[in-house]
Amino acid sequence: MFRIAPKKFIPADEKAEVKRLYDNYFHQMKSLRHYFFEQSLEQAESGEVAQMKHRLEEEEHIRLMEENRLENEKTAKLREEKLKIQAEKTRENILASLINKEEETRQYEIQIEAFLEKQKATPFIQAENIEKAIEEALANPVDFNFAIDLDGYVYRGRETAIEKIPEEERERLRSN
Amino acid sequence: MASAIPTFTKIGKVIRLNKHGCTNRPFYHIVVQKVKRKCYISHMKISITLKKKYYTRDNFDGPVIEQVGSYDAMPNSQHEKLVAVNFERVQYWLAQGAGMSNPVAQLLGLSGFLPNHPQTLIQSWKNRREPPRERKLQPIKGIAPPLDNPKI
Repeated sequence: MFRIAPKKFIPADEKAEVKRLYDNYFHQMKSLRHYFFEQSLEQAESGEVAQMKHRLEEEEHIRLMEENRLENEKTAKLREEKLKIQAEKTRENILASLINKEEETRQYEIQIEAFLEKQKATPFIQAENIEKAIEEALANPVDFNFAIDLDGYVYRGRETAIEKIPEEERERLRSN
Repeated sequence: MASAIPTFTKIGKVIRLNKHGCTNRPFYHIVVQKVKRKCYISHMKISITLKKKYYTRDNFDGPVIEQVGSYDAMPNSQHEKLVAVNFERVQYWLAQGAGMSNPVAQLLGLSGFLPNHPQTLIQSWKNRREPPRERKLQPIKGIAPPLDNPKI
């Protein structure tokens, strides 16, 4: 019914022998694997494949450097042309701005002169004209007083009475 | 286990025998193959030890990377079992850290590339000890000496 598999009996000395064999084997295998590994490393450095790879890489490197150099030259040329154009532009800009500046200063000077002349033209009262001016002022008193009607008629002067002015002169509407 | 030489980590590759051929005619390719871990059926609420024993999906090992030899298990007309091995590539893969299955290790030991596997020695003395078993087929007489080893 319930079959129990019979356990194999192995004598102790045989077991010991087997263990010894396996220990030796694994030891040897481990050392062999390490030896192979080191061999592979040496091969990688100095083997034919490695040399070929090295040579190909060098060639590739030289080719790429050459390409790079040519590209650099091209771009240098382009850059120089661009810089020339830019230099021209900036020079023109500067000239234009200088010319503008000159124009402006000239205009400004003209304006200043006009202004000065205007100021000089206005009747300033100098030291010689004082007495004359005083006499004139005393002789012609200016009356700024005025009154406004609801209809918009202006009556100037302090002493003017409303009834004394005729209707024609009375009408002075607001002038805008 | 302290030792002066550091141990190799496992790269997922193994040199083993892959069985090809047809019915009643086995033929093995010695092959370097990528090994996938066993995947357990994860949704079952059972301890992992039981799962490892009973509830694993098929071990779909990875693709064969390289064939490194062949082993013909059926003896030919000269009573030879032919084995071919590419030692250079085997050395390369061992240097990379590939594992080896027992039969492959035994074959390489017999060939002289690696030290003799203990299994060969154990098997040999067991063969010598036990009496020969009865055979249905007659031994074929040819160039090689007739088989008197019962275990082959």
